[in-house]
Amino acid sequence: MALYFFYFFASTAILSSFFVIFANNPVHSVLWLIVTFFSVAGFFILVGAEFLALLLMIVYVGALAVLFLFVVMMLNINFAGLRSGVAQYLPFGILIGLVIFIELILAFVPWDFKEQSFNNLSSPINLSETNTVALGKVVYTDYFLLFQCAGIILLIAMIGSIVLTLRSRPDVKRQNITEQIFRDPNSSIEVKDINPGEGI
Amino acid sequence: MTGYLEEYFPLVVFFGLSLAFGLILMLAPLVTAVSNPDNEKNSAYECGFEPFESARLKFDIRFYLVAILFVIFDLEVAFLFPWAVGFQHIGSLGFWSMMLFLLILTIGFLYEWKKGALEWE
Amino acid sequence: MIPIEHFLIVSASLFVIGVFGIFLNRKNIIIILMSIELILASVNINFVVFSSYLGDLVGQVFAMFILTVAAAEAAIGLAIIVCFYRLRNSIFIEDANTMKG
Repeated sequence: MALYFFYFFASTAILSSFFVIFANNPVHSVLWLIVTFFSVAGFFILVGAEFLALLLMIVYVGALAVLFLFVVMMLNINFAGLRSGVAQYLPFGILIGLVIFIELILAFVPWDFKEQSFNNLSSPINLSETNTVALGKVVYTDYFLLFQCAGIILLIAMIGSIVLTLRSRPDVKRQNITEQIFRDPNSSIEVKDINPGEGI
Repeated sequence: MTGYLEEYFPLVVFFGLSLAFGLILMLAPLVTAVSNPDNEKNSAYECGFEPFESARLKFDIRFYLVAILFVIFDLEVAFLFPWAVGFQHIGSLGFWSMMLFLLILTIGFLYEWKKGALEWE
Repeated sequence: MIPIEHFLIVSASLFVIGVFGIFLNRKNIIIILMSIELILASVNINFVVFSSYLGDLVGQVFAMFILTVAAAEAAIGLAIIVCFYRLRNSIFIEDANTMKG
């Protein structure tokens, strides 16, 4: 039964990734990319990596695809011009692709784990606990430095994207809340004593 | 392993049903609705006219910035899940490593706050 | 149990499709970024499948970090595209030749 689900996910993954690169409209490409990630998440569930499957859903489908869609929508691009010259690159692309594919298949297909590799596991999977707990036990302690590196990478991404895209416009008036709160009545209100019938 | 996959059976049923329901709603009008188009019917009429340009509108750049910050904090929260679930097993090193991680990201948060990336002008 | 070669072949084809997409859409940088995401997804499949079949959790940990790096990379890449678009009003990669000698 699991094998049928595998074939289903495999066919959707490969077909939709083909549509990603062949779609005429980048919006469609993004939507096909979402389908591809759905099927990859299906693979992850089939092999027992539940947390990663759901992480893929949350991060890629929920956030990254939205990011791509924003950029595609934000830039008003002539999409027809971008497709020109595809035929020129096609033969070379097919050649390179075939070579890499054959190399990978030659490397992978009679796959066999060595006996020693089962004796050298650094954090063996214990099937009695859930995948999320098992990951939580390992990531924060055994991979402390890598985890902090991930934090720094996220920090850099945050700062980099702000530096690259944020342009503050000088002509827009902004609200300065502290200034408002600390306004002093003495400096902003002037009390005048006006005699009747005279005016200021 | 097979027992584990059986837990996902309700999900499969759910996806199958939603797929079937969506397809039925999409295909039913093709079968049941009356459709005999002609040239005049399909052309623009009364106030309608052919569009002058693409209907695609440019978004403001700030939507993109908000989306990026969402991605990054999304990942931060994703790292919090296994930490919270496995909290009792990881000891003080695990606790403080997450605190350091959160501190690093808080620096970024303060930076973007000071820069005004969260304000809408 | 599904034979491990099945997963490896699927991930190899995803990888090749990603590389092929980079060659095919040389002008459209957004599709190139999506192809890179495809390549990273195939690498992630390999990591997770090997981790599961070997019974070692390390592969899944690394897949998690790859996910992080991929998200950061896409965010920065798209920010660069937005910047470039402001400068040149197009996203043709061929316009990015100012530094050519």
